[in-house]
Amino acid sequence: MGSNGGGFSFDLCKRNALLERKGMAPPSAWKTGTTIAGVVFKDGVVLGADTRSTSGSTVADKNCEKIHYIAPNIYCCGAGTAADTMNVTAMISSALDLHRYATGRESRIVTAMTMLKSHLFKYQGHVSAALVLGGVDLNGPHLFTIFPHGSTDCLPYATMGSGSLNAMSVFEAGFKEDMSREEAMALVAAAIRSGVYNDLGSGSNVDLCVITKDGVDYLRNHELLMGKTYQREFPVKYPKGTAPVIKERVIPLTALEITEGEAMDTS
Amino acid sequence: MGESQYSFSLTTFSPSGKLVQIEYALNAVAAGATSLGISATDGVVIATEKKLPSMLVDEGTVQKITILSPNIGMVYSGMGPDYRVLVRKARKTAQSYFRLYQEHIPVAQLVREVAAVMQEFTQSGGVRPFGVSLLLAGFDDNGPQLYQVDPSGSYFAWKASAIGKNMNNAKTFLEKRYSDEVGIEDAIHTALLTLKEGFEGQVSGSNIEVGIIGPDKKFKVLTAAEVQDYLQEVE
Amino acid sequence: MSIYTYNGAAIIAMAGKDCVAIGSDLRFGVQLQTMTTDYKKVFQIHDKLFVGLGGLATDAQTLHQRLMFRHNMYKLREERDMKPSTFGNLVSSILYEKRFGPYFASPVVAGLEPDGKPFVCGMDSIGALETAEDFIVTGTNSESLFGMCESMWRPGLEADELFEVLSQCLLSGIDRDALAGWGAVVYVITKDKVVARTLKGRMD
Repeated sequence: MGSNGGGFSFDLCKRNALLERKGMAPPSAWKTGTTIAGVVFKDGVVLGADTRSTSGSTVADKNCEKIHYIAPNIYCCGAGTAADTMNVTAMISSALDLHRYATGRESRIVTAMTMLKSHLFKYQGHVSAALVLGGVDLNGPHLFTIFPHGSTDCLPYATMGSGSLNAMSVFEAGFKEDMSREEAMALVAAAIRSGVYNDLGSGSNVDLCVITKDGVDYLRNHELLMGKTYQREFPVKYPKGTAPVIKERVIPLTALEITEGEAMDTS
Repeated sequence: MGESQYSFSLTTFSPSGKLVQIEYALNAVAAGATSLGISATDGVVIATEKKLPSMLVDEGTVQKITILSPNIGMVYSGMGPDYRVLVRKARKTAQSYFRLYQEHIPVAQLVREVAAVMQEFTQSGGVRPFGVSLLLAGFDDNGPQLYQVDPSGSYFAWKASAIGKNMNNAKTFLEKRYSDEVGIEDAIHTALLTLKEGFEGQVSGSNIEVGIIGPDKKFKVLTAAEVQDYLQEVE
Repeated sequence: MSIYTYNGAAIIAMAGKDCVAIGSDLRFGVQLQTMTTDYKKVFQIHDKLFVGLGGLATDAQTLHQRLMFRHNMYKLREERDMKPSTFGNLVSSILYEKRFGPYFASPVVAGLEPDGKPFVCGMDSIGALETAEDFIVTGTNSESLFGMCESMWRPGLEADELFEVLSQCLLSGIDRDALAGWGAVVYVITKDKVVARTLKGRMD
């Protein structure tokens, strides 16, 4: 297993702080600028997310997955620092797995919500994950928003991320209680689209996840909004031998390449 | 544990080189209900007797075969409470492996980890060996596998094995019945026949338990009704 | 100045048809002063698995040593090589463990899965994983590498073509990066062999 018993390691913090004091800016982590949203409808919950991940103003991933698995009946959209949303959801998913083995019951959304908020509160907002958590359990459909500092809301419709205002304006205009599955999916997709088109931190495609008591429909790239819009008229083909190769070696299989300079080359 | 006045290990060598505590643990296993397992070409089956101390016990609440990870299940002979400690540790091990690699733990790795825990309890201070033998059934990239782990922490992969009260008779029975080409359905039948052989009283869906894992690599414990159906097939 | 641009690096990994390639530039510098011109930033983990480590060189080296250690231990324990996808998750876990005091390195993983399919993934310094069907880049001028790859890559590249495409992207990309360059090395991994080629580049 790992060299540690789990948990974070802080042994580079001092060095990194020193570097920062000397004017060496630390690197920026990948963010999911993000529009994420969810609504409760007649028989369940629809979650939605865009698929852009950014590093500063560069798009790091044009088609990332922001709707994370928590339990067979629970999913969670994540906004904020990409590594945090991925790991915090995976951690709670793992804890719920053990909990289900121990209790033999289906996980409840409140349980997932409480575990997530406890973790986030413990780290006082430094684990920067803003989440929209949704699912269906024995008490029916539930939708929560969870903020990076650990506060939560239970809502019929919710949005998060940099495009949350765009998405919320769509919800405020179009939300009705007891919508049908199709109506709810269309509304969430419209909300995400408003983020994709109007918020620069959000982009690319629309992912949806429909959860009812009968099962989950994970609709990856439900709407493919942003494929390549241009075609290369004559795809540039480089004939063999274009690149200026000055040395070529076949590394025999099961003989590792030694990377400590040319002197080690024994061929 | 190290702080305790009794922090020395209770498991110490006898002059003849035996660790009698481990032998006593094996006695506890031999007194426990019979469990058995068969590894087939396309899956593994494990089964056990579920004899309850009194008819007043609600048998629906007793589960002896447990799932450790989606592709691995386990059963025991011996002491129930000891078993549950190992179940908890095994599940945690499987889960931390998954967190690290996003991949299910291979059967051999989980067996090794569980066996390491059992070994530790034969050498540590203030503790006693586990009074259980385990059968682990799993399916991974290396195919279907059946492992047995004993209180000493030793473990082996088996084509078929039995532990507990009637283990010797059951093993003889399995030796006669086993073939390398056996499929999972036939293996279930053989498992039930073997269990019936040493069973005191009438076998039913509610006084035995059966767990199987097939090519879908999903371990599942059969319901009483499903076991009953298989029992009817072997009659 | 960002600590990321202290040494300079340019790394690209690309997926082709049943093949995968990964390459890096060869410069190792301290800020604007070039120290060596034979510094590869791509390391072999096993026959069909490579990892490229951009960012601060000292952290990249430490990380490489830890990754080799973890892979060797895995091999002894499980008696098999790690799948590239598994390795990607391991690297991510190792980086996220240091969430609040990270290694200043951003890894790129390239390899062939046991079924022969190419696997390419990358992550930031705290382990946010991104798997790609096309390419992953990292380095001091990733924007120019991104731009090249975005227009040159196409699906279904054969090993020879993949090498040429990756080489052009890398060489053109580093021509617009003052901190990377001085030649490049490209590894092409196919079912039955791994070829390492050293490329000539601008020496300025």
